[in-house]
Amino acid sequence: MGIITVKTLWDEGAKALSLTVIAGEQYLDRKLPETAMNRPGLALTGFFQYFANQRLQIFGLAEFTYLKSLSDKDKNKRLTELFEQQIPGVVVTRNRKVPPEIIDLAEQYKVPVMRTPMVTMNFVNECTVILEKLTAPQERIQGTTMELMGIGVLLRGDPGIGKSETALSLIERGYSLVSDDVTEVRRTSRGRLVSWASEVTRYHMEIRGLGIIHVPSLFGVAAIRRQTELDLVIDLKKPTGNEDRTGIYPEMVEILGVEIPCITLPVRSGRDMANIVEVAALNQKLKELGHDAAKELDDKIIDRLTRGRVRHG
Amino acid sequence: MAETEMVKKFKVLNEYGIHARPAALLVKAAGKYECDIFIEKDGNKVSCKSIMGLMTIEGYPGSIMTVSTSGADAAEAMAEIEELFVNKFYED
Repeated sequence: MGIITVKTLWDEGAKALSLTVIAGEQYLDRKLPETAMNRPGLALTGFFQYFANQRLQIFGLAEFTYLKSLSDKDKNKRLTELFEQQIPGVVVTRNRKVPPEIIDLAEQYKVPVMRTPMVTMNFVNECTVILEKLTAPQERIQGTTMELMGIGVLLRGDPGIGKSETALSLIERGYSLVSDDVTEVRRTSRGRLVSWASEVTRYHMEIRGLGIIHVPSLFGVAAIRRQTELDLVIDLKKPTGNEDRTGIYPEMVEILGVEIPCITLPVRSGRDMANIVEVAALNQKLKELGHDAAKELDDKIIDRLTRGRVRHG
Repeated sequence: MAETEMVKKFKVLNEYGIHARPAALLVKAAGKYECDIFIEKDGNKVSCKSIMGLMTIEGYPGSIMTVSTSGADAAEAMAEIEELFVNKFYED
């Protein structure tokens, strides 16, 4: 993703962050080169050798208290120096009255100034989450996402292989739909994958022969989930005879640079795919708890076989 | 359809014997053929198409296994299974 503007943040977070524009509304399209925030306290003391001028500048209680301690002349000088650094935007927290000097400078240097009733710490936390979401690597993937007991499963496969039918059976078993056929995936800063549905088609499914259905209307709100972390990818394929038979050497796929376990399931008519996906998810949960059944059985067999060699040899 | 029957004995040559990985290789190879394939050791006879069966017959390293195939493609199946035994299941 390229550089975002202050407007991007405004569009996404104005409501959640209770932001209002105090000055420079027409300059909201200023670029926000670093998607982070800076408390300009140190800069206001006149120290500009290291100043994060590419970040959103947050004026909180500390900044205002310090400004109050300055003479009008010094206050004006320091604020002018700050705005000369081509800062992308200013946010005033705690609904503090914005000093007229800042409003004048905002117009002069074409910088948007916003205000929020939030306490600085809460604002910074919330805003960090929103900025991270805006800049996280993101991809649209062909596949259906389900959430089973806290395990996020992405079902992939050629059109018509039965992704939606499998999802429907899983919903009937009490699990939740996240997205049908088209899944948005983003990578979090912790290196996890999160998937959700596109806004327009969210919570709808297309079932061949039936057409489009609205899942929460038919199955209740428990049948849907807004988003889930992905733990497992399941590829539905026509049988090749070359499927994994032990599960000891799991395949991995890479999505947005994150390695994630991948199981290939052969689809035969009459095979209860939902049941198998359910077991696969449970088994993945078990593995994440550190209990790899296939590996443990193999270790046990190897131990018996090699001790047998001593006994027989 | 010509029915062929074959019986051969093989020694388990790899270090760990018939554990999950070799068992999976045998099952995959056997699954490609129509014919019946059995493996026998010490009076225990299991289908070579069953991974759970193969893991229970205790194919110790150095033990002797009797493989029998019967059906139209018995010879081809035997050849492929022989290859796995001879090549130590591509382990070591």
